[in-house]
Amino acid sequence: MTTDGHTATSPLPDPGRHLTAPATRSALRIQHQLLSSARSFLRERGFTELLPPVIGPVTDPGSRGSKQVDVDFYGHRYKLMTSAILYKQTSLLAFDKIFCVAPNVRLEPLETAGTSRHLAEFHQLDVEMAGASRDDAVRLVEELVVHMVDSAVRELPKDFAELGRDVEAFTELLKGSFGRMRHAEAVAELRGLGHAQSSDAELDWEGEALLSTRRDRPFFVTDYPKGSRGFYDREDPENPGLLRNFDLIAAEGYGELCSGSQRTNDYAEIVTRMRETGENPQKYRWYLDLVREGVPGSAGFGIGVERLTRYVAGLDAVWQASAFPKLAGVVSP
Amino acid sequence: MSDLSAPGFPEEEVRRRARAGAAAAFPPPGAYGRVLFGSEHRGDRHRPGGERDPLDALRITPPVFMPQRLARLIELGREPDHRDVELTTAVGGFTSPLPVYVSALGSTRAAGGDLGLALSRQAGELGLPMVIGENVVPVNGYGRLGEAADRALLGRLRAYAAELPDGRGGVAVQQSTEDADAEVWNLVYSDPAALPLLETGRLAFELKVGQGAKPGLGGMTVLDAEAAARLGDRYGIDDVFGDGRVLRSGTPGTFTAEILRQQVRLMRNNFPRARVWVKLHPGRDVAEAARVAAEAGADAVTVDGAEGGTGWAPDAFPAEVGLPLAECLRRLAAAGPPPCLLVSGRMWEGGRAVKSLALGARAVGLGRAALLATAEDPRAGLVRFAECLALELRLLISALGKYAPAALDRDDVWSPEFS
Repeated sequence: MTTDGHTATSPLPDPGRHLTAPATRSALRIQHQLLSSARSFLRERGFTELLPPVIGPVTDPGSRGSKQVDVDFYGHRYKLMTSAILYKQTSLLAFDKIFCVAPNVRLEPLETAGTSRHLAEFHQLDVEMAGASRDDAVRLVEELVVHMVDSAVRELPKDFAELGRDVEAFTELLKGSFGRMRHAEAVAELRGLGHAQSSDAELDWEGEALLSTRRDRPFFVTDYPKGSRGFYDREDPENPGLLRNFDLIAAEGYGELCSGSQRTNDYAEIVTRMRETGENPQKYRWYLDLVREGVPGSAGFGIGVERLTRYVAGLDAVWQASAFPKLAGVVSP
Repeated sequence: MSDLSAPGFPEEEVRRRARAGAAAAFPPPGAYGRVLFGSEHRGDRHRPGGERDPLDALRITPPVFMPQRLARLIELGREPDHRDVELTTAVGGFTSPLPVYVSALGSTRAAGGDLGLALSRQAGELGLPMVIGENVVPVNGYGRLGEAADRALLGRLRAYAAELPDGRGGVAVQQSTEDADAEVWNLVYSDPAALPLLETGRLAFELKVGQGAKPGLGGMTVLDAEAAARLGDRYGIDDVFGDGRVLRSGTPGTFTAEILRQQVRLMRNNFPRARVWVKLHPGRDVAEAARVAAEAGADAVTVDGAEGGTGWAPDAFPAEVGLPLAECLRRLAAAGPPPCLLVSGRMWEGGRAVKSLALGARAVGLGRAALLATAEDPRAGLVRFAECLALELRLLISALGKYAPAALDRDDVWSPEFS
């Protein structure tokens, strides 16, 4: 056998054709509207928008097999951000409620080039609230997503028509009150459907899509097991081994839109959890120093901007929601 | 790499096997009919102080009555012999032609360069599972960004995979605590070179908790001043030699049962298409650690006995620290060994391997023996060595009236001291 034979099949059109396609313009207009309405919604609720860093000595670890990108920062190995999480949490030293639209780069495993759900470069609408619980974050996501979708549907009927997206798909969503299920319930449902989902791991992509296909509005999956998430998700003291976190999963088979959690801000717990996630705490010195001095307890989430756009616009693949898409292993501008 | 030596190890026996292959399992054929042979065995089986290695001290004890041989006789319609032993074994999610794998050979000079590549090629040709050791990436690089690919992980991966027969073997890429900074697993998991292995289920990641040569310590190497300046921000450096060369120490990492459990789960979560292996040093709680790893979902748990390891270590450690492999096996058996227990420590011939398998191991790892055999003949030394080992395994297992490694059990070995 040989080892270097693989190249991901590229479904990407050339950039000129992609940017001038009516469907791309409509998708990007919907994305613009989703972000505009999110910004006004969050500002009205007292959130301050920060501009997130792009590089740092360390970034969010453990993103399901994806590789971080190293950059040389005056002789020091820095990383491109895979998530703004550490900066979100510590920026609560300045403001109690913040949000940002953060660029993220993750060299995803090659098989993700064909999932229709992964980009190597994407954006997240990141939100963090001091003193909030997981349930506070869940409620805010729910209201925010309803507001964003409602705004897009009201403002851009021609673009939905151009894309052939029937806005009746959002009838249930716009009523609010998304469904909720615990991770263990999701595992049980998937196993009942004959899908071999591990009870210790995140829902796999196929499993997420299965659950998503069976629902007519987005729903939350909560209480993921320790070992499936980063060190910053707070462990539930009443249910050791479970985390006070959640994912928001879209209807119609589109899969995950958002991840969030109540954060742990206890220094010793964070160091221990870093070891449990195979991390060397030395890397996180600046963050740990701030935590040791005291950062507020908080909860927050990140909504995948391109994924939400894909769902709302009814696109086949998430790359269609990006002006300059980058797929795993596909050389592109 | 002809300067490679292994004091205290039956080096000449291993080199002879690498030269002569299966013939080396027997006395020289020219001695047949002229020399009377007794129980003395070639190869150094005594520690420097004269104390016998407790695994070597065990005897393999064939019974007189052999119901499994009868079953095989009925199946074949003729008397079975050693050629009827089926050695193919599932090793940590891979399929191996022998109950054998090639142990991790790390970043040290001994395993670097041509020798590491030659070993990888031959392991691939044999279809033996192979572990690529810790620190190769942080020290030698991965091979994508202008580093010398032969010394880097990529070179070994390519050399192995290029020779690998369909359906056999697999690579376990090791990562220790300090390698986490280099993201070795993430790098491999997203690299095109590893994709054929990943797609055929022949890629594993091995979490290195410790090693036999220096339980409780991390990796240690000797660096010249230039290399020390390059790596000093990532490793502890001690100027103990006073001649410009320095000691570079890696951190062993901090583990509790919960940390180990969660790391295994995280590996399963982050790398769902890779197998998960865990390597333990011969700690006094090795049985509990193996249980935690297996329950968390490890496909294989490797235990490196105190006799194991090619690594450079402080003198006090090989001589005085860690449980002998035999005692590890006893404790593991008493606690119920993990479903796929892999063991290493002075493995070089069939006897120690069969004893280990009888005491609960699924397969045994070749470390120094693989390096020496390759050094003796970089083209076919390891292949000939494996031929000899395979013949010995067949002879020993069939002598026990059994025809597969998995059929071996505790009754197949005996010692007055070993209960």
